[in-house]
Amino acid sequence: MLTVNHLAKSYDGEKKSLTDVSFSVRSGEVTVIIGPSGAGKTTILRSINQLIRDDEGEILFDQIDMRQLNRVQLRRARSHIGMIFQSYNLIEPLTAIENVLHGCLGTKSNFAGIFSIYNNREKEEALKLLQKVGLEEFAYQQCRNLSGGQKQRVGIARALMQHPKIILCDEPIASLDPKSTITVMDILRGLAVNDGISVLINLHQVDIAREYADHVIGINNGQVVFDDRTQALSDAAITGIYRKNANLEGSLVHES
Amino acid sequence: MNPNLQQVNHFFNKKRFRLSLILVILGLAYAGASLGLGFQTHSLLNIQDGIAWLIQNFIPNEASKGYWHEISQQLFRTFLVAVAATTCAAVGALFLAIIGAKTLTAAITVSWVIRGFSSLLRNIPIVAWAMILLFSFKQNDLTGFLALFFMTLGFLTRAFMETIEDFGTEKIQALQATGATYLQVIFQGLLPEIAVALMSWILYMIENNVRDATLVGLLTGTGIGFIFNLYFKSLRYGAAGLVVLSVILLVVTVELISNLIGRLLS
Repeated sequence: MLTVNHLAKSYDGEKKSLTDVSFSVRSGEVTVIIGPSGAGKTTILRSINQLIRDDEGEILFDQIDMRQLNRVQLRRARSHIGMIFQSYNLIEPLTAIENVLHGCLGTKSNFAGIFSIYNNREKEEALKLLQKVGLEEFAYQQCRNLSGGQKQRVGIARALMQHPKIILCDEPIASLDPKSTITVMDILRGLAVNDGISVLINLHQVDIAREYADHVIGINNGQVVFDDRTQALSDAAITGIYRKNANLEGSLVHES
Repeated sequence: MNPNLQQVNHFFNKKRFRLSLILVILGLAYAGASLGLGFQTHSLLNIQDGIAWLIQNFIPNEASKGYWHEISQQLFRTFLVAVAATTCAAVGALFLAIIGAKTLTAAITVSWVIRGFSSLLRNIPIVAWAMILLFSFKQNDLTGFLALFFMTLGFLTRAFMETIEDFGTEKIQALQATGATYLQVIFQGLLPEIAVALMSWILYMIENNVRDATLVGLLTGTGIGFIFNLYFKSLRYGAAGLVVLSVILLVVTVELISNLIGRLLS
C-alpha cells in the first residue's frame, strides 16, 4: 500500500533531520510512529503527501513514487490521502458541513471549488459522514464553536470525504482530553478494521500506541530504531526508542 | 542583607536611573529645538487669548445657517469619494497581498517587489499625492479620489499582507492535502478565515479617509475642504466653523457605525 524507502531530509543543508528512513504500511492496519520530539515524525508524515519536500528516497503509494509527480498528478494523488492534524486545521468561521465538503475539493474544478458548488450526492455523503462521527446535529455550527474533540471528528469526516486509501494523522490526540482521545482513537481504529483504510498515526503516548496499533515504528534522531508488530514492543524497546542522543542533549525533551 | 534582596534593589535602581536619563534627554531635546527655532516657551501662557478669539469668531451664528444646504451636499460628496477610494483600493490591495504574502507567494522576489511598491505608495504623504496629481488631473473629484486611492492601496496591501502571514500555513496545508488547487485554497480557506480582519481594516481606512478627504479637497478644490477654504478666505468664519463642526460630526458618526459593524462581525 505505502512503502517508504531510504527517505532523507535536511532543513538547513547540514544537520540531517531524517537519515535513511524505510518502512511500509499495510492496508487495513493501524500503524503508529512513536519517538521523542524532534525525532522526525512530522517530517516523515508530511513527506508522504509532499507537504514537505524531502531530499532523497522513494515514497511508493500504490506503486507510484509521490516524489516524481507533477502538480496535476500530485493533486490527484493527494486526493486519495486523508490527513488530520493536532490543531485540527479546520476553517473555523465555516460550518462543520462546509469543512467536511472541503474533502472533495481535490476532485472538483477550480470554478466549482471556489463557489462551493457541490452536487447532491456529495452533500448527502457529507451528512452521512457527520452522522458516522456523531456530529449530525452540529452540521450547521461554526467550527470555532465546537470543542477540541468535536473539531477533530470534523477533521476525520473531512478526510473520509476524500475516500482515502490511507489517512495520515499528525499527533491527532495531543490537544485532546482523555475522553475525546478515546473517542477519536476508536474511530480511527474502526476505519482500519471496518473500512480497510490504512491509518498511519504519529503519537507521543506509548500506552495509546500499545492499545490501538497493529504495527509500531520507532523513530529516534531521524532513524528507524524499531519496526515490528505491537506485541514485540517491550519496555526495553521503548527505552531504546526514547533514549537521549548524546549530541542532542538538552534539545531532546521527553514528552509523555 | 540578603544577597537576593540586594540584587533586586540593584535592579530597580538601575531601571530608575535609565528612566531618569531618558527624561533628561527628552528635556534637552526640547530645549535645543526651542533655541534653534527661537521659540519662547513662556508665550504658551498667553495661549488663552488666541483660543478666545477662535471661539468668538468660529461659533456658527444665525447667518451661517444659510450655508447648511451647501455644506451638507459637499460633505456627502466628500464622504462618497472617501468610501469609493477605500473600497476600490481594498480590492486591489487584497489581490496584491495574496500574491505578495510570504506564506503564499510563488517567488520571494515577487513578495519584495510588492512590499517595496506598497511602502512607496503609503510613505508619500497624502498632501504630496494630491499636489502631484493636481498637475495631471486638475481640480476635480477624480484627483482627490486618486490621491486617497494610492495611499490606501499602499496601506491596505501591507495590512492585508500581514493579516495573511499571521494566518500561517497550517490550514493552507490542510486544504492542499485534500488535493485542493491554489484558488480553491484561497477562496475556501484563506478568505473565510481573514474576512473579519479585512473588514475591520477597511472600516478603519474609511474613517481615516473621510478625515483625509477634507484635507485633500482643500488642495484639489473640491468637496468640503474647498468650501471651508472659500468661507475662511472670504472671512465668513461662522460658516467655516459650521464646516468644521459638520466634519467632526461625520467622522464621529462613521467611527460609531464602523464600531457597530465590527461588533456585529466578531
